Amino acid sequence: MTYDVAIVRQPLNALFDLKGSPAAIQNWAADVLPTLPERPNSRTGQASVELYHVGRNHWIARAPLEQEAELEKHLSPTNCPAEISIVRVSDTLTFFRVVGPQADEVMSIACPLDIHETEFGEETVTYTELFGLKALIMRCEDGFEFAVEQSFGDMAEDYLSRAVA
Amino acid sequence: MTQNNRCASGGRIDRSRTLRFTFNGKSYEGFEGDTLASALLANDVRVTARSFKYHRPRGIVGHGPEEPATLVELDGEDASGNRPATTVPLRDGLSARSVNCWPSPEFDIGGVNQLLSRFIPAGFYYKTFKWPNWHLFEPSIRKAAGLAAAPAQPPSSGHFEARHAHADVLVAGAGPAGLKAALKAGRAGKRVFLADEDSEAGGSLLNCDLSIDGQPAMGWVEAAVLELRGMANVTHLQNATVWAYREHNLLIVNERNPDQGSIIERSWRVRAGEVVIATGATERAMVFSNNDRPGVMLASSVQAYFNRWGVIPGKRVVLFTNNNSAYAVASDLIAAGVRVEAILDSRSCVPQAALELVPEITVQSSTVVGDVRGHKGVKAVKAVSSSGSVNWIECDLLAHSGGWNPTVHLWSQSRSTLRFDEDLAAFLPYQPVQNCTAVGAAAGQLTLDQIIDGGEELAYEIEPLWRVDLPGQRGKAFLDIQNDVSVSDVHLALREGYDNVEHVKRYTTGGMGIDQGKTGNINIIGTVAMQKGVPLQEVGTTTFRSPYTPVSFGAIGGLREDSVLFPYRHTPVTQWNKDNGAVMYEAGARWRRPGYFPQQGEGLQDAVNRECRAVREGVGVYDGSPLGTFELKGRDVPQFLDFIYSNMVSSLTPGNGRYGLMLSDDGLILDDGVVFRLDEHRWLVSTSTGHADSINQHMEKLLQTEFPDWQVMITTVTSQWNNATICGPRARDVMQALGTDVDLSPEVFPFMSFRDGTVAGFPARIVRVSFTGELSFEVNVAPRHMAELWAKVIEAGAPFGIQPVGSESSHVLRVEKGFLSLGHEVDGTVDAYDLGMGWAMSKKKTDYLGKRSIQLRREGKATRRELVGILPEDHNRQVPEGAPLTPGGRKEATEGLVTACVWSVVNDRWVGLALLKNGHSRHGEIAHVRLKDEVIPVKITKPVFHDPDGKLLRS
Repeated sequence: MTYDVAIVRQPLNALFDLKGSPAAIQNWAADVLPTLPERPNSRTGQASVELYHVGRNHWIARAPLEQEAELEKHLSPTNCPAEISIVRVSDTLTFFRVVGPQADEVMSIACPLDIHETEFGEETVTYTELFGLKALIMRCEDGFEFAVEQSFGDMAEDYLSRAVA
Repeated sequence: MTQNNRCASGGRIDRSRTLRFTFNGKSYEGFEGDTLASALLANDVRVTARSFKYHRPRGIVGHGPEEPATLVELDGEDASGNRPATTVPLRDGLSARSVNCWPSPEFDIGGVNQLLSRFIPAGFYYKTFKWPNWHLFEPSIRKAAGLAAAPAQPPSSGHFEARHAHADVLVAGAGPAGLKAALKAGRAGKRVFLADEDSEAGGSLLNCDLSIDGQPAMGWVEAAVLELRGMANVTHLQNATVWAYREHNLLIVNERNPDQGSIIERSWRVRAGEVVIATGATERAMVFSNNDRPGVMLASSVQAYFNRWGVIPGKRVVLFTNNNSAYAVASDLIAAGVRVEAILDSRSCVPQAALELVPEITVQSSTVVGDVRGHKGVKAVKAVSSSGSVNWIECDLLAHSGGWNPTVHLWSQSRSTLRFDEDLAAFLPYQPVQNCTAVGAAAGQLTLDQIIDGGEELAYEIEPLWRVDLPGQRGKAFLDIQNDVSVSDVHLALREGYDNVEHVKRYTTGGMGIDQGKTGNINIIGTVAMQKGVPLQEVGTTTFRSPYTPVSFGAIGGLREDSVLFPYRHTPVTQWNKDNGAVMYEAGARWRRPGYFPQQGEGLQDAVNRECRAVREGVGVYDGSPLGTFELKGRDVPQFLDFIYSNMVSSLTPGNGRYGLMLSDDGLILDDGVVFRLDEHRWLVSTSTGHADSINQHMEKLLQTEFPDWQVMITTVTSQWNNATICGPRARDVMQALGTDVDLSPEVFPFMSFRDGTVAGFPARIVRVSFTGELSFEVNVAPRHMAELWAKVIEAGAPFGIQPVGSESSHVLRVEKGFLSLGHEVDGTVDAYDLGMGWAMSKKKTDYLGKRSIQLRREGKATRRELVGILPEDHNRQVPEGAPLTPGGRKEATEGLVTACVWSVVNDRWVGLALLKNGHSRHGEIAHVRLKDEVIPVKITKPVFHDPDGKLLRS
């Protein structure tokens, strides 16, 4: 293998797409979500639930799949006020982890973003491009984690295996 | 063969490692650290190439990327073409061949061109071979004048890679100035990216014997490299050429043979805050008669071969110069015991400091080289003094120096400006356009003492000599050796009116090609200036373009090859499709979909007929997952949907849906799809597969630019829902067999409605829509359940003869129903009325996107192409899709085109759709499809061939 990394395709996560004003989101879901991240392209966490601020008035809540039903019950997408949108999107993203001493080198093949630790810290999460595909990227322990639209999952895996061959 | 020209010691080569290689089929030896060029010179191989046009014998001229003469083709695992021999690292087993000669450079059949050279000046081809057609002659001319072909096969092992990098400072060049800049930035804690094209750092210091504070200059280089290696914030690459400078300080670097796994070459795309251009300078050639003979070399290259590779490419040397730098070369050669016959200096007054370097050598000032004797190797040079005296000096090597050009390629690629410096007789960096700085020789600091404190080097002084111009001169004087462009070619261009330097370049091809005129460009500019009687600044330079040196296509492409050449998307059913023999291909938006499912012995048409018959007479199932799907939420969704769809949408009640058309600003059809109201504020919009992304952008753009205050939130859920669409008269039976808690009766669950429930034990949303014209149930589940659902559908449907249906059959089924298809009937020119869909144009709504445009167009009453059905008079005659319809089948302007033609199993004949002028009023008439050799009569009908009243799909 060209690079000293491990690449792991992740199992499904519970994901909810949230849109609306911060106040409206907090009013509706403050008891189940972490504090809203203050800065765009950053994340907060509480217990096993993470909240990614990925756009203006736009967040993604993430938790282990086992918590999907519980989260959905509390977030209640079908009953939430008209001012906010909550949609279960757990199946829309396929996550990969690239970890190991040369994870940053493999990621630099895939991604044009500056992912140096001085620019892309632990709390950073953002949409960018990986192998030309729209992707959500963040750091994880000993490496990086990213997600592409689920239907591109096989292609991303194909690309990664070529990169490290 | 022994290495006759190799010194007994010296050079930066590893003499303990002998490497064997072949050149034009002959075996030679070299050492680790050699280039192919240095090894050939060590073995006294003089004729290494034939020239591009005249097939003149050529030898090695330079020692780096400036090499204009010797291009080689590598075989075996190194297979590549047109590589300057000076940039090919020697390795054991290397096999190289000269390009552009047959059978060998020593004896080349194409050499006959030399006899005809008077008749084939610049522009000859275009003037002579214009009748009857240039392309008639082009192949043979290209074969005669071409270079090496691209390798027939990709590398047998390894792969290319492209990666991204970011830096505060990118330094191009690891010579003394580049190393100094990198050290400064690195010590300041900046992220530094240092890239150098050579195999080791040092730049010009590798080639000569200079000192800093009395110590060897290479010692300073080694200390600098060591310090940089210790900095975590510095990336230092050798064998890495910065070959392109793009907008916003994006630079592209090609790294060759990185010491990492199986990577052949790596392309770096570096975004830099600041760029330091430390690319050094390139020696330029002198222009005199027969200045291309083997054994005529750049003086600095002779010095480099001696100091770096321990090679002296001649026994008796004459130097010809107009500047001081050649004197250091002579000094090195003398120290090595080489016989320097003379130094010919075109200047009338040679600086004393220069003379002091070579006290024992005859220096002939005010003297030029008038000619060179020797066809395949220098035998003597003709020294001509300003007084007119002539003497021939016997020698086997002529080292010449026309001065130095700062290597401003990157600077100029950044669109920064240049100015001509009279003192240095060279173009220098002037006003930067991006955040870049030129340093060292690239900025005109041509001696070490100007760059490094304590550096010691003879001061640089020059009197430019753009060409030797003697009365009665014979023999070609080349300005661009690679492209065989001589002084007379430039004169011809000027005489014919091509007096702009860019035109001169295109007329003569001077400055083009692999070396991009590194040694000759300024001599062309100088020749133009002399001929026109204007200063060089006024002539200007041609545009410097990337790549600075040749780059492999593989490195540019990186990993993008084979299966990842284009993006692709899968559904959870993809593997099942493959396992069951589906013929897969892309069917819009990068989705790989099954085209059809051939069974044993079946061709495409047989398979499609079987699948269609199943849907029309029994039951079929297809994977409809790729359709674009969006969930819209907010109080203003109804008015938004009323704006983007042409029909009324807001009146829908929860649980129900409607088919609609989206129009563009100009009233033409943008997309079609269905909209369902999930509840008071939630809506589901589906789009065509191919337009999903563009419709998403269309909606977001409208919301962000036209209606920023409207409360509409869009979430893409294309991949949150997959669906298996069960269609056909037995569809309800299959649904019952699968098991569902939803009442499927048509009274309770009518067409264009949806129900949430379970199917086969999975949470599902069942939607009653139909794209086939048959009773259909679109079973939507989360992708995590899709593969299992699909398997259960196939199992439950087996007793009913269920067949998986591919894209080809879907196409047939929709044509039979006259359902429109984007890209077929919707070709960017038609509106809803043309397609007979005026019913989808709301009369109640005051406004919607495209309404005004379509009204204006309709008021114009221009003839329109309208959708019709066509039935070939011969039932068994297929009409090609896209074929034109002309009046009476005559050779006249078309009145329409065939948009689709399929074999209909329910009609047992070919049926088709067409866009035809005034088609709606021509039903029953005969139209004519005009092909190249045939006219096919077709009957015009309504565009529907199955269940015209839609009873089946509502059943």
